[in-house]
Amino acid sequence: MLKINQLISGYGSVQILNGANMKVEKQSIVALLGGNGTGKSTILRAASGLIRSWKGTIEFNGEQIQNLPAHEIVGRGLVQVTQGKDVFPAMSVTENLKLGGFILKSKQQLSDNLEKVYNYFPRLNERKDQLAATLSGGELQMLCIGRGLMSNPKMIMLDEPSAALAPQIVLDIFKNINRIRQDGLTVLVVEQNVRMALLLADYGYVIKDGVINVEGDSKKLMYDESVKESYLGGTKANV
Amino acid sequence: MFNKLRIGKKGENIIFGTFVLLYIGWCVNSPDMNIESLKSVLTIGLSVGIIYGLVALGISLIYTGLDVVNFSHGEFFMIGAFAGLTMFNLLGNQDWIFNIFPDAYGWIIYVVCLFTAFVSMGLFGVFIERVFLRPLTKKGGGYTVAGMGIIICGFGLSVVLINVAYLIWNPVAKPFPAELGLPMEIGGLFLPITYIWMIVVGLSVAAGLWFFLNKTKMGLGIRAVAYSKDVSNLVGINVPLYISIIFGIACAIAGIGGTLVGPTYQVVVFMGYIILMKAFAAAVVGGFGNLPGAIVGGFTVGIFETASSFYISGSHKDLYAFLLMIVVLMIKPTGFFGVQVKMKA
Repeated sequence: MLKINQLISGYGSVQILNGANMKVEKQSIVALLGGNGTGKSTILRAASGLIRSWKGTIEFNGEQIQNLPAHEIVGRGLVQVTQGKDVFPAMSVTENLKLGGFILKSKQQLSDNLEKVYNYFPRLNERKDQLAATLSGGELQMLCIGRGLMSNPKMIMLDEPSAALAPQIVLDIFKNINRIRQDGLTVLVVEQNVRMALLLADYGYVIKDGVINVEGDSKKLMYDESVKESYLGGTKANV
Repeated sequence: MFNKLRIGKKGENIIFGTFVLLYIGWCVNSPDMNIESLKSVLTIGLSVGIIYGLVALGISLIYTGLDVVNFSHGEFFMIGAFAGLTMFNLLGNQDWIFNIFPDAYGWIIYVVCLFTAFVSMGLFGVFIERVFLRPLTKKGGGYTVAGMGIIICGFGLSVVLINVAYLIWNPVAKPFPAELGLPMEIGGLFLPITYIWMIVVGLSVAAGLWFFLNKTKMGLGIRAVAYSKDVSNLVGINVPLYISIIFGIACAIAGIGGTLVGPTYQVVVFMGYIILMKAFAAAVVGGFGNLPGAIVGGFTVGIFETASSFYISGSHKDLYAFLLMIVVLMIKPTGFFGVQVKMKA
């Protein structure tokens, strides 16, 4: 579905990605793991068109999409879900969700998708007339995912859905991500919470210094010594 | 853009209230104070104020949408007035319009002029933004602003536009003799009908903008772009296009303001500068970046200015707007409707 090939990109003159390769199969959940400043979010930003790709290709559904304007990439069905803090705080929950469906042409489809999102996250339905600024952290994350689902995407890319949330809520959100996959979407999750992400995902990539360092089946990655050492932590000191 | 009135700290409000009471006391003590003069002060103040408000609305809109303080906005006001005047001169000696609408002849032409100013300034604003401002923002990714440069360029653009207008229309003040009918009597006061036009059209434009921003899909997009360009991009909004639209709307509103002022005063090449400064004061008083605040600020500045020149001293008319701005900045730095930065969408 999504194929990233020798991607080189960065901000201004600072090169962050040094030739990253990735592949996301249809209807799978893929986790992209890595510490701070390794280029996880940069891959997402390049894929969704917020920054230019300097070199390399990004293929989505067999078409090259690198350096298309961001709104056209959304139109093709590849949507990035931002972290929970990136909502429009002065708008109501419904307005936020309607913005997610901005590219939809028909009103019928918009209301259908609203129903669908409220079905995934009944909590949002309870809060639909509240300003987004008054929501809790978990509700904000739900709102962001819901907004991503509004435009009928084929694939969503989640940027740290577990950031700064309580474990119970993370579990809840991850269950919903699994449900979204079962309904036919492809999911790419960027995470720092390695254990949770690998439990959820089918396949994992570990990025380090702008290149993919380790990749493999998520069950395998979980017991991989190098991953354990660098990201799960504590193997040697705690023994 | 539309958040609720921020109730300031108690101290702020008390000090500000004291100032207002002192000012009212001063005005009441003036020998010119009577109900007649009060009526005319209010009408003139409101009608001038709505003009300041309209220009301030544009400045605030551009500030929220593009994060730029547009110092050339007064020139769009001036060119809008000339666009209206040009249309007026074109239609003024057409007999067929007179033959079709013998009664409503004057105001139909005037409405056409307003419409011309609105549309032409909108297109002109989009043109200026695309051709002159957009290249400056290239470094910031095509839609964000690359620092101080663009503000200085606003001043430059203002000088250029004044000089272009000077070449086309020469610096002589031109009358705008719209035939809108006889003065109207309201509560024993005879008002030139142009004042009524200013207030009514100005308020309808402001209400129309409110409706557009809050009830239409495009308005929702504009509010989203004003809050965050990146997130708007991610939901599929064509951000560069929307930035042009925001600039165009702001300029179109300024153009209407220019044509509204035309019949009451005169149309001069240099009319934009002082309006810009007053509108700036209005935007600051209302709360910079807040749209209802811009209109309220415009009314406040207009009434304050007119009342002061009536009751205190008429020879320093242009001083009062800035006096008010300084007082507001000292006591209530966020203006009446302060915008918390995070909530500006």
